[in-house]
Amino acid sequence: MQETQTIESPSIPSRSSTSTQDRSSTVGQTSSTAPQPSKPTPIIPPLAKSTGPGSGSVVRRMRRIIAEDAEWSLAIVPLLTELCIQHIVKNFQNNPILKQLLPEHQKKVLNHLSPDLPLAVTANLIDDESYWRRCCTQRWPVCHVDNHGGSWKRMFFELHLENLLKHFIPNTTDPAVILNLLPLCRNYVRAIRVDQFLPPVQLPAPPRGGDQSDSGSEGEMEEPAMDHYQLDNLVAGLSHLEELDLVYGVKDCGLNFEWNLFLFTYRDCHSLAATLKACHTLKIFRLTRSKVDDDKARILIRSLLDHPALEELDLSHNLIGDRGARAAAKLLSHSRLRVLNLANNQVRAPGAHSLAHALGHNSNLISLNLRLNCIEDEGGQALAHALHTNKCLTTLHLGGNELSEPTATLLSQVLTINTTLTSINLSCNHIGLDGGKQLLEGMSDNKTLLEFDLRLSDIAQESEYLIGQALCANREAARQRALNPSHLMSPVTAKGPESPVG
Amino acid sequence: MNPPGSLGVLEEKEEEHLATPILGPSVHSDNPQERIQARRLRIAARLEARRREALGEYLDGKKESEEDQSKSYKQKEESRLKLAKLLLCGTELVTNIQVAADIREIHRRVEEEEIKRQRLEKLENEVKTSQDKFDEITIKWEEGKQRRIPQELWEMLNAQQVHCAGLIEDKNKLISELQQELKMKDDQYVKDLKKQSDDICLLLERMEEQVKNVMKTFRQELQNIEKAFEVERQELLTSNKKKWERALQAHNAKELEYLMNRIKKVEDYEKQLNKQRVWDCEEYNTIKIKLEQDVQILEQQLQQMKATYQLNQEKLEYNFQVLKKRDEESTVIKSQQKRKINRLHDVLNNLRSKYNKQVKQFQEENQSLTSDYKRLVLQFKELQKAMRHFALIDDKQFREIWLMNEEEAKDLINRAFDVDRIINTHHLGLPWMAPNFWFLKNVGPISQRQQKSTTQILEEVLMEAEEEGADQDSSESESYLDLPKQVSARTTRKILMLLCDESGFLIESKLLSLLLPLERSECYLLGLDAVFSALGIENEDDLYKLVNFFLKYQTHHSPSSQEPLDLRAEKEGSLVDGKSQEKEPPPSPKLIHPNDVLKILEAFVMGLRKPRDFWVPVKLLKVVRDDSKDSEYWEALTTVIPATTQNLWDALYTALEKYHLVLTQRAELLIENDSLERQNTELQQLLQQYLDTKINSELQVPPTQVFRVPAK
Repeated sequence: MQETQTIESPSIPSRSSTSTQDRSSTVGQTSSTAPQPSKPTPIIPPLAKSTGPGSGSVVRRMRRIIAEDAEWSLAIVPLLTELCIQHIVKNFQNNPILKQLLPEHQKKVLNHLSPDLPLAVTANLIDDESYWRRCCTQRWPVCHVDNHGGSWKRMFFELHLENLLKHFIPNTTDPAVILNLLPLCRNYVRAIRVDQFLPPVQLPAPPRGGDQSDSGSEGEMEEPAMDHYQLDNLVAGLSHLEELDLVYGVKDCGLNFEWNLFLFTYRDCHSLAATLKACHTLKIFRLTRSKVDDDKARILIRSLLDHPALEELDLSHNLIGDRGARAAAKLLSHSRLRVLNLANNQVRAPGAHSLAHALGHNSNLISLNLRLNCIEDEGGQALAHALHTNKCLTTLHLGGNELSEPTATLLSQVLTINTTLTSINLSCNHIGLDGGKQLLEGMSDNKTLLEFDLRLSDIAQESEYLIGQALCANREAARQRALNPSHLMSPVTAKGPESPVG
Repeated sequence: MNPPGSLGVLEEKEEEHLATPILGPSVHSDNPQERIQARRLRIAARLEARRREALGEYLDGKKESEEDQSKSYKQKEESRLKLAKLLLCGTELVTNIQVAADIREIHRRVEEEEIKRQRLEKLENEVKTSQDKFDEITIKWEEGKQRRIPQELWEMLNAQQVHCAGLIEDKNKLISELQQELKMKDDQYVKDLKKQSDDICLLLERMEEQVKNVMKTFRQELQNIEKAFEVERQELLTSNKKKWERALQAHNAKELEYLMNRIKKVEDYEKQLNKQRVWDCEEYNTIKIKLEQDVQILEQQLQQMKATYQLNQEKLEYNFQVLKKRDEESTVIKSQQKRKINRLHDVLNNLRSKYNKQVKQFQEENQSLTSDYKRLVLQFKELQKAMRHFALIDDKQFREIWLMNEEEAKDLINRAFDVDRIINTHHLGLPWMAPNFWFLKNVGPISQRQQKSTTQILEEVLMEAEEEGADQDSSESESYLDLPKQVSARTTRKILMLLCDESGFLIESKLLSLLLPLERSECYLLGLDAVFSALGIENEDDLYKLVNFFLKYQTHHSPSSQEPLDLRAEKEGSLVDGKSQEKEPPPSPKLIHPNDVLKILEAFVMGLRKPRDFWVPVKLLKVVRDDSKDSEYWEALTTVIPATTQNLWDALYTALEKYHLVLTQRAELLIENDSLERQNTELQQLLQQYLDTKINSELQVPPTQVFRVPAK
């Protein structure tokens, strides 16, 4: 203990620094007597003799380089601890010794460990972030550690698992590859984000003429053979899983495109539903761009009813229609969902009706996204009615929904009453000039809305500009409130008469 | 295809919007910009006011600093708003692409739906027409079967072929049309893909541009703010420097003034010092001369003093010698005296110790003697008690024996009297008179003193009271008298003395004259004796009754009088030792008030009358018995029967004896006669018997013949 600490200090300057040259050289000389028995011995006696006169020895000691000695070097023999650490690092794979070491030695060992060590050794032994950082940066050129909770270790395992899942080919790859990783990563993986699932390889590639149109029908026929990897075992093993982000599709297929590469089969759907039901820690579930139709959506949502933890559901870019929307509406009243994203689906007026009905009695949902659907005025009015009673929703996205003036009228009424909404998006609709004016009127009484997107919605530029001014005022007021909550009311009242003037 | 065009328009617009905040304030429209400016100022002012309110000290602060503060603050606020706007516009610009894509998609969808609908319509029409044609052809097939003529059949077949070809051509045309459409769609798809990649490129470009812009503006604003702060700092510095210089100048001027004042003062002081010095010198000289004169006078005096001193010294030396001698002598004497004192002290100590020893010894002796004395007194008392006890017992025994003997004697006398009576009446035929002697009626021992006489008691009481003075210890619990327990001897004595004093009228005048020369106690004794005889108190009981009566009366009639106190004092007095007893004042005459005495006596005498009537006094032997009367008594008893009678009895006795003898002889003869008669009768009976028996007849010789002779 003491020895290592005391001797360590000279060993460090001996390598590089020149500022402590005197000390290092003397130490080097004296210590070099023992390990270099053959060469320095002729030098030592004169040195010992010259101590008497003094001047010579001082000169000698002051010298940093001894030219007469060919093998003279400043580097001293490394310390025993150093050697031991090197040895440990060298044999870490076979004999991992880490926890028994002192903290500083642990650090040294970790700094010298190779990132290529097998995970079975390192996974549960090493918690040091810097090591995992090296591992990550070595494997992936771009690393956004923020997407993984700021933990490099978690990031490494999540990306590693994602990589394995992406390249897993059912019936060809050994499932043990993933299941073996499970005990190593179960404590660290919190999110799985997979944007491709490979289908099983069809061994006899039957030569087909030119009729590509038949391939779709053929794929449907071979549906049972097109199942993707079943997540149930993996998810059941991950005890901290919170986020599941899946895309059933293939990336970079290029000219090998076939419709059945993008196929979310019923069997996949059922197994995924069972997996979701079993995973009680799940908070975020995303299933996008996977051709989820009404039936599959209903299967999935049924499994999510009364889920204890789920907060965000994202089924955007799918083929969900009114029935699926109705199921989602049912889910709203049977869970603690806070974010619902049904963007780019095929929800029409009836679906919007059911969603609005659920929204009217809901007190959990914060954000609702119905972008690129086709709910039209009928659905929009229903939603606006629901917002009269809802006191929770803050974000509403109704872009690209074929809405027009009647919805705008109702929404302007909502704006005067509602005090929770902060963001509304009505872009890409046909609001029209009159609708814009009505919205402006509603906006003049609102003090909470911060964002109101009305781009490409056929309203007059002047009203759009005025709405923008009102939003600016609201934002300023919100900033003031955030800065000093004690003067909550004064800036609002002060701003009140000002905004119409500006 | 509208979307690209519209997007371009939008972008241009956005470009303009974006340009407004970044490039300058007055590009697009003057009016809103001014308004913005005005509002910014107002916001800044309000914020400033609020801040000042929050930090009250700024109100007191100087105006300059306030202005500076506001300048930098204004700059900050301006930058913030600018940047916020920039960010907002930037994000809008970027998201514009998405919005444009969205709207394109919507348009595409609408178109797609329309085309689909048209296509379906077309297909349905096609199906209808082709079906019609097909039906036509099939009908013709039926017709053809009926044709028998080959030529017609051929013609018809040809026509059929043409029809079929037409049908197929229609179908083919449709297919080719659809394929054309598909190709167009493919082209469209490729175009869309390209468009999408363009969009993405644009998006990236814009994002990059945005990032660059934002960074640039941020840096610029930072510089602006820093510059503002720098300017403010410079201003502050200059103002402070100015202030500092002013202060320094003022300080210097004051310093100079102080210096001048000081120099002036120094000069003044120097002048004063010089004056003082001259004056001091003069004074010094005069004093010096005066002192020298003084010194000369003093030296002369010193000489004189020295002479006298010499003289005195010699005298004193002589005195000293003398005193020394005396001192030596006195020391010698002193030592002698000291030795003497020591010796005397030793003697004194010895004597003291001896004295102490003797005191101790005597004390011990005294102790032992007193204890001996006490023991002896006790023994004596016990002895007395025993003696009294024995005297009582002897008395009793004596009495019993006396009674027994007396009884016996009386029995004998009675018998003698009986005999005498019988003799007199029966034998002599004389009338008999029972002799009457005094002693026959006596029962018990003869004693003069049945109880003590009053005089004796009185004597005892008085004597005892006197004795008490001598030995208290003996009288504390016991008294010789059998006085009632509650009455002590002393009280009794007091009462008696009181009685004697008060009832002097009962004593005869002659006796009084005789009593005068006598001693006090004897005087009392005799006086009391006389009084008691007058009152009729003759024995002990009466005396006690009298005393009790007195006490009772006292308690009854004057419960609050001093008597209880006195009694208590008496008890105490009996308990304390002799000294205190002697010192005690003589018994107070107020024990019983003298006036009451006569009343009490009267009452007592009245009460005493009744019992006295029944009481027969019998004079008997004294305590110390005189036996003279006893022997007389017993002698008398023996001589109850007089000598004459005894002589009579003797003569009678002899005569009676002779008579008795004669009678006895006669009785013997009578008895003999009786027995002989009886024998005769018996023998006669026996003879009769024998003769009467039958056997006599049977016998040869009858007995009767034999026994004739003896029979008589």
